[in-house]
Amino acid sequence: MPGTILENLSGRKLSILVAILLICQITCFLIGGFIAPSPAGSQSILSTVCLDEEPNKFHEQDRWLTKECKSIDLANEQAAVGLNASNFVFVAKMPLYGMDFSRWQQNLVGVLQIDMLYKSGQSINSVIELTLDSKLAFRSKWDSENKWTYLSSSQEKRTVECMLLEDKEPKDKYPYSCSTVPLFELGSLHHDYYLLNMRLPVDDKGMNVDLGFIHDIYLNIIHMNGGFTKVWLSLKTVFFPVLIAIMVWFWRRVHMLARTPALLEYLLLIVGVTLAFLNVPLEFLTLHFNMPYMLLLGDIRQGVFYAALLSFWIIFAGEHMLIKETPHKNSLRVYWMHLSGILVGCLSLLIFDLCERGVQLYNPFYSIWVTPIGTNLALSFIILAGISAGIYFIFLCYMIWKAFKNISIKKSVLPSMSTVRRLHYEGIIYRFNFLMLATVVCAAVTIISFILSQIAEGQNKWDENMELEVSSALFTGVYGMWNIYIFAMLVLYAPSHKQWPTDTICGDNGEEVEFSRLPTDPCPNEISSLTSFASKVSMD
Amino acid sequence: MLAVANGAHQALLECRHQFQHRRWNCSILDELNVFGPVTSIPSRETAFAHALAAAGVTYAVSRACRDGHLSSCGCSRMGRPKTLRKDWIWGGCGDNLEYGYKFAQGFIDVRERERKFKRGSRKQGHALMNLHNNEAGRRAVIKMSRVTCKCHGVSGSCSLITCWQQLSNFREVGDFIRDKYDGATEVRVNKRGRLQLRDSRFRLPTANDLVYLEESPNYCIRNYTVGSLGTEGRICNRTSIDLDGCNLLCCGRGYNTMKTTLKERCQCKFKWCCEVECKTCIKSIELHTCK
Repeated sequence: MPGTILENLSGRKLSILVAILLICQITCFLIGGFIAPSPAGSQSILSTVCLDEEPNKFHEQDRWLTKECKSIDLANEQAAVGLNASNFVFVAKMPLYGMDFSRWQQNLVGVLQIDMLYKSGQSINSVIELTLDSKLAFRSKWDSENKWTYLSSSQEKRTVECMLLEDKEPKDKYPYSCSTVPLFELGSLHHDYYLLNMRLPVDDKGMNVDLGFIHDIYLNIIHMNGGFTKVWLSLKTVFFPVLIAIMVWFWRRVHMLARTPALLEYLLLIVGVTLAFLNVPLEFLTLHFNMPYMLLLGDIRQGVFYAALLSFWIIFAGEHMLIKETPHKNSLRVYWMHLSGILVGCLSLLIFDLCERGVQLYNPFYSIWVTPIGTNLALSFIILAGISAGIYFIFLCYMIWKAFKNISIKKSVLPSMSTVRRLHYEGIIYRFNFLMLATVVCAAVTIISFILSQIAEGQNKWDENMELEVSSALFTGVYGMWNIYIFAMLVLYAPSHKQWPTDTICGDNGEEVEFSRLPTDPCPNEISSLTSFASKVSMD
Repeated sequence: MLAVANGAHQALLECRHQFQHRRWNCSILDELNVFGPVTSIPSRETAFAHALAAAGVTYAVSRACRDGHLSSCGCSRMGRPKTLRKDWIWGGCGDNLEYGYKFAQGFIDVRERERKFKRGSRKQGHALMNLHNNEAGRRAVIKMSRVTCKCHGVSGSCSLITCWQQLSNFREVGDFIRDKYDGATEVRVNKRGRLQLRDSRFRLPTANDLVYLEESPNYCIRNYTVGSLGTEGRICNRTSIDLDGCNLLCCGRGYNTMKTTLKERCQCKFKWCCEVECKTCIKSIELHTCK
């Protein structure tokens, strides 16, 4: 029975491999930090208030108000006399400064910020329900200046929370501090210019009745940075063929054995495939085709990879628990209970995502969070996902703890073995621990970098000389880390050819008699001599 | 240029609002130009005026950027203070507020920097004081701006988060600088041409604080050479013991009382967008004006 490469690799070769992987890892961090700009950028656009003289024609798809309209100054109360809320259309052309969007920028998120002023005599309601009547149009660089093409329109409800800044007695014309209002999310940034026409209609049923005196409405747009997308895609383009090559090599190794592949080997392959799915640089297609579903697809790709990785960890720990209770150890069915947590969590996240981003394919203004039912639904899915993540984590910790405990029990048997054999198994145990450690380090780095990126973005940066882009470095670094982790797993857990065809561990000669094949132990199905060793010990 | 003029005008309006109940009611600022007010006395009021003018320009330029009226800001190369990597498709874009700050710095400070004075002289101290207060004004705009963030990562999670500076209302900036005016520090220029605390018991002013070199002139009496209009004829509040009270505002000269009836809108109810439902109240009040 051959061991895995991890068990047979000499210490020197292992350290060389680890060094190479570490260098790749550092390169990933540095590429993100020094070459890529920050992952996403934003623009604040002050909307122009236009006078719409024919408000009943607002919903016509070929009638658009642009910045060249007859604008009104909201601060001037006299200008608004005799007008209706439907006459006011807030217009924002994206992007600013005569620039045009590039398809490298991938997607667009629009967030409204409403600046309201207090007027004496106004009731102060902290939570205001807004009704937004908005529509989006696009234009290409080569179209004439006024040729806007209809993209989408919708009437949506949002809530905004406003409060006066001081607890003092409210003074006239003092600003409210209002929360931001998410407006739209475009999954593809296919066109050069976008135009938003929006109004806040009123009716006698209390629509927009709590609105105060609006001073300004800003539209903040968030897009991916083209430079970051380029770096990101180059990383994917490099990782993808490397991963495919390693997977092919791995699977050929497995098939060269005279046995059917073990469960862990199947799982390793599945994790590899899902990572390859994540690595396919599909985003190149968005440069030519309009693919609004890319956001959803990206979420699904990420989700599938994490589901496979989490399943792998559970089964990896389970296979190293060194307990032979069932003869059908190497089947997925044994782990149904552990895996159902992952399944439930991932499914609820998928449904949530389909509800939010799936609907946004048809209506970019849609948000699941605005209606009470939608909020409850979304929250329940997220809570469900959280609970299953918790259950999963408890299971994983339990299994790892048990595996370590069993290994330490088995370790006590080691001194009774011959020196050569003992050193061999001590090495194996050491490397198993080493790999568990690598997993923990990877997880820890991911969590820490997640927190760091929040801090890096949360505070504003006025440091001129900061050339290092922290959040990009963390993004590319973590992405590279998981790729390298899977590379290492595939390489180190591939069957080694060092010991075959001559079989030493499961052999029947002399000293190794205690490791002889047992009837209950399907030796050819073992991938790790560690587990076979341990099973022998436990049988003793 | 339009933005700069707007900013200066806004600063003037704000100054009048902040000082409507004080002895000095922004009188020197009537000749306000884009370089800041020309005043001969480096007083607390001058400090305030400079800071507010710098803040006004910073604010107006940032706002004009967001409006799309200024093509030089944002991400284009023209007029940007530092060369940007536009080829990284907007990754090198700076914040509008930062642009407004840089613009105001280059525009307003140049007046103080272009002239050379003898080190340690009164005029050099005045220039240094103006520079300091201009910086304080610009920083006030940044300090009063709020950072807002939006999560837009996988499934809308915060794995990807983008933040931006949200411009506050100029009234808040004005309030902030007024507070700094009330807590301004008196300094003097030393032989090495640096500003130094006049009374070392006070704490050192930071870049956000206002500094002044000389005590304010007496704003009670009309004196055009120091930029004072006097408080004669100003309306005061009889019952207030604050600065707007007749006792303080009229500098102890007493006041005239006049009975008038006033027609004004009251109990207004604002309805979006264009309706203000008000009642007309007729009040008979006593109007007090300083002698």
